[in-house]
Amino acid sequence: MVIKAYLLTSFNIAWHIQNIILAGIILLILGLLVYMLSYMYFKSIYDKKFEKWSLISDLLIRKAIFYDDDEIEDDTLIPVTARAEKLMHNKYFRKLLVTEIISAKKNITGISADNLKHLYVQLGLEKYALNNLTSSRWYIKARAVQELTIMDMKEFVDQLYSYTDDKNDLVRMEAQSALVQFNGFDGLRFLDTITYPISNWQQIKLLQQLSHLPPSDIDMSIWFKSPNSSVIVLALKLARNYHRFELHDDIISCLDHSDPWVRFEAIQCLTEIYTDETSDHLISRFLNEILKNQLAMIKVMQTIGTDRDVLFLLDLLTYDSDEIKIFAARALAQTSKNGLDSLLEYSGKADQSINEIVMHIKGEIAA
Amino acid sequence: MKILVAEDDQLMVKMLEFRLKKDGHDVTITNDGRAAVEKLDDFQPDLVITDIMMPYLSGLEVVSAVKKRYPTGTPVIILSGMGQENVVLEAFQLGADDYMTKPFSPNELSVRVRRFDASLVK
Repeated sequence: MVIKAYLLTSFNIAWHIQNIILAGIILLILGLLVYMLSYMYFKSIYDKKFEKWSLISDLLIRKAIFYDDDEIEDDTLIPVTARAEKLMHNKYFRKLLVTEIISAKKNITGISADNLKHLYVQLGLEKYALNNLTSSRWYIKARAVQELTIMDMKEFVDQLYSYTDDKNDLVRMEAQSALVQFNGFDGLRFLDTITYPISNWQQIKLLQQLSHLPPSDIDMSIWFKSPNSSVIVLALKLARNYHRFELHDDIISCLDHSDPWVRFEAIQCLTEIYTDETSDHLISRFLNEILKNQLAMIKVMQTIGTDRDVLFLLDLLTYDSDEIKIFAARALAQTSKNGLDSLLEYSGKADQSINEIVMHIKGEIAA
Repeated sequence: MKILVAEDDQLMVKMLEFRLKKDGHDVTITNDGRAAVEKLDDFQPDLVITDIMMPYLSGLEVVSAVKKRYPTGTPVIILSGMGQENVVLEAFQLGADDYMTKPFSPNELSVRVRRFDASLVK
């Protein structure tokens, strides 16, 4: 009896558990179904809304780009519908519109681009961008700087200046590029004050931006005294690219800088900006340099070296480092006729390794 | 003038379509190089405007296809963000008739297109 009652109770409990699990599964499926249906419903509403916004935004942009095909005077208004005006209070619509305006502005120039800027200002979109500059989130700040730059809002250059030394590297990069875009070489004045390093990539970007502009004789001497090594490095690259011979002494002083990166760039720079004393400056510092910079020095001498440097280069052939020997042999072969003769004469008396190097260099010259 | 446009950037497509239609041209749009080449026989364009970087077939391949099909006619204008000398030279070597780099002026494009309009050439 007891066993039978026990079995019956156990069966009942199992049956209840099974029912609960089944109900749970049904509820879960129903829940998922409701979620999916409501998601699809709201998505279709959003898509329809987005489609309408997209049309309104396209229409606005098209009107601006092709507005009478003439330049718009400052006080002329591009016709904007009441609906579009109202939508300007909606941040999602503004985001869509700004994205499209920026995309169009990147692709066009001339009157159409000016008209697009006119529309941007007419709708007061620059105020939102300025507001975003104060955001605590770096990506909003960086995007706002980029937006103002693309829209050519030169009038806000002073506001953007403070972001050239922002703690976030992307915000800094955008602001520095903005200043150069707006003011060309004069935009580099941020180099007077910045404390954060300028990455190699950013230096390339800035130099690339400047390459589209006519050369300038902007005063760069202050940058050579900057406590920020990257500023000196950029100044050295500028001096080299624009052949600023008057900066020779500043460049030579960089050979004694504590940062090997600065010294390396200074050595490279001397390939383009040199006097008859440049080799002596390099030779006097050679022993105290790191290998990378020593090799750079020899490479410079390959270009600017004269008969006076032959003895020094011959001496380098006695060093243990094969790299130094190869670089020195190459420099000797190319500095002068005397250098090549001295190299060949030396190789006749030297060991097998030097002979192999000389053969290699001869092959290079023949090629 | 019947103009075939090959461009994958939708905003650019809208701008080009509007500008060219406004100038009175009959415009057909394709969003990649392969579609542009496929449209050639159907549409028989008087002018082709093409981007370079596009899916399936590049604009340079479109130039080749157009010049192969119409050796004596149908000019091609390249409208591209790629302004490097080697790309421009390659485009001209393949037979491109004009090259504009982005960002571009829609007004300038309009004038350049008119140069190829046979009905306006006296």
